[in-house]
Amino acid sequence: MILYSKKRPLVTERAQPWLGTLVSIRVQGLAKREAHRAIQAAFGEIAAVHRLMSFHDRESDLSRLNRAGIGDAIDVHPYTYEVLQQTIELSAATRGCFDVTVGAELVAWNMLPRPMPAGEMPHGSWKDIKLLGSYRVALHRPVWMDLGGIAKGFAVDLATDCLRRRGALQTIVNAGGDIRVSGNHAESIQLSAESAEDHMAVLELMDGSVASSIGRLHRRWQGGRFRGPHVDGVHRTPALTDRFVCVTAERCMIADALTKVVMVQGEESAAILRRFDASAYFKDSGQPWQQLETERVMAE
Amino acid sequence: MKSRLMFLPLAGIVLAGGPAYATVYLSVEQAQAVLFPGATFQPDNRVLTEEQAKAIARASGVDVRSKQIKAWRASTGGWFIVDEVVGKHEYIPFALALDEKGAVKGIEILEYREAYGDQIRNPEWQKQFVGKNSGTKLQLEKNIRNVSGATLSCKHVTDGVERLLVTYDLVLKEATPGH
Repeated sequence: MILYSKKRPLVTERAQPWLGTLVSIRVQGLAKREAHRAIQAAFGEIAAVHRLMSFHDRESDLSRLNRAGIGDAIDVHPYTYEVLQQTIELSAATRGCFDVTVGAELVAWNMLPRPMPAGEMPHGSWKDIKLLGSYRVALHRPVWMDLGGIAKGFAVDLATDCLRRRGALQTIVNAGGDIRVSGNHAESIQLSAESAEDHMAVLELMDGSVASSIGRLHRRWQGGRFRGPHVDGVHRTPALTDRFVCVTAERCMIADALTKVVMVQGEESAAILRRFDASAYFKDSGQPWQQLETERVMAE
Repeated sequence: MKSRLMFLPLAGIVLAGGPAYATVYLSVEQAQAVLFPGATFQPDNRVLTEEQAKAIARASGVDVRSKQIKAWRASTGGWFIVDEVVGKHEYIPFALALDEKGAVKGIEILEYREAYGDQIRNPEWQKQFVGKNSGTKLQLEKNIRNVSGATLSCKHVTDGVERLLVTYDLVLKEATPGH
């Protein structure tokens, strides 16, 4: 049994640049040759998400949607369709606090490049995205969607499923801090939050995902006020807390999406977290850590 | 799914082998085998002239820090190049595979060094631990190899790849059979 074996299990680990970050994949329980084949296939899935959901690539599904005319039925890949289904469910559950159409604000604040050909800044919301079935999507009003975070989480989930299908016993996929762990061993993950001076926050995680967000990261002074990448989908204003948020959930896509909700809503996001079977740890500057939804926390 | 938040003392980390750890993903030979399965490799290293380095910097918009080009020709066609870029704190060595037409076939990061947060890099902050007892030494290098919440851009790597693609065009391409 590997768990108690003195021999160190065979570990194969590789990293490649995708989705604007470095993605690493670690696999245990497969011979080298099989491990490399499995990792290759998993990176193939991540590359597919990269091509389909890039804001920057004109030919991505996302870019085609962002320049689609009102009512045009746009064919998309099943992966893109699945992500859109999930974003709409999250938007409905959070009453629009989570909304991928804040891409428009991120363009207006120069945090994303203008989609080409650049029309006027659209004012559509998640309610304007209509899923027509058969992997076709139409818009009621123009939108500029940004799938950056959620696509990263989705890619991590796809890669993990791919590795498991190929027989890997213990895997860890990390796309720039969106991490999924699978197997019987808990992994320790450092949270890059400011903590008490002489301590560091570490999350022990088994068979699940974690994503984190730092409120003040990438914040800029612009037009007489601060702007940041975390946008409240309802008020269309930047979330300007000094908050560090970490969310755990089974699927990495959910963990990533919910960091944005906890960033804006803090304690008020407890019901949403419960609904998606997720937990959150967050810390406001100078305040103690807070924990939401504690039922399945590991026993000491 | 199970999770638990813990707080570990940092004092041990600094003493237990420095403020950073390195993950070695692939050796040069392993990267060659992964990117060109079954191929054999013939080294074809180059030293850029001053003019070539300037031309590459101009065309790619990326500084050329080193004039040494570590390149191999694959028996199955194409090139394998090892290079490095400067990350947030450290050098990141990577391998680039180009097919016989000079298109990117694959990129593999060979090694990555991660700092345990910026605060640990701060010498003032580190000083407070100098000489302290390491009785509770934590083997974090082995145990904690992933960080959530850090900004990790791969722009330096994509810039490095851009620079090598121009290097291929200006320097290596003419040595490829068929050109």
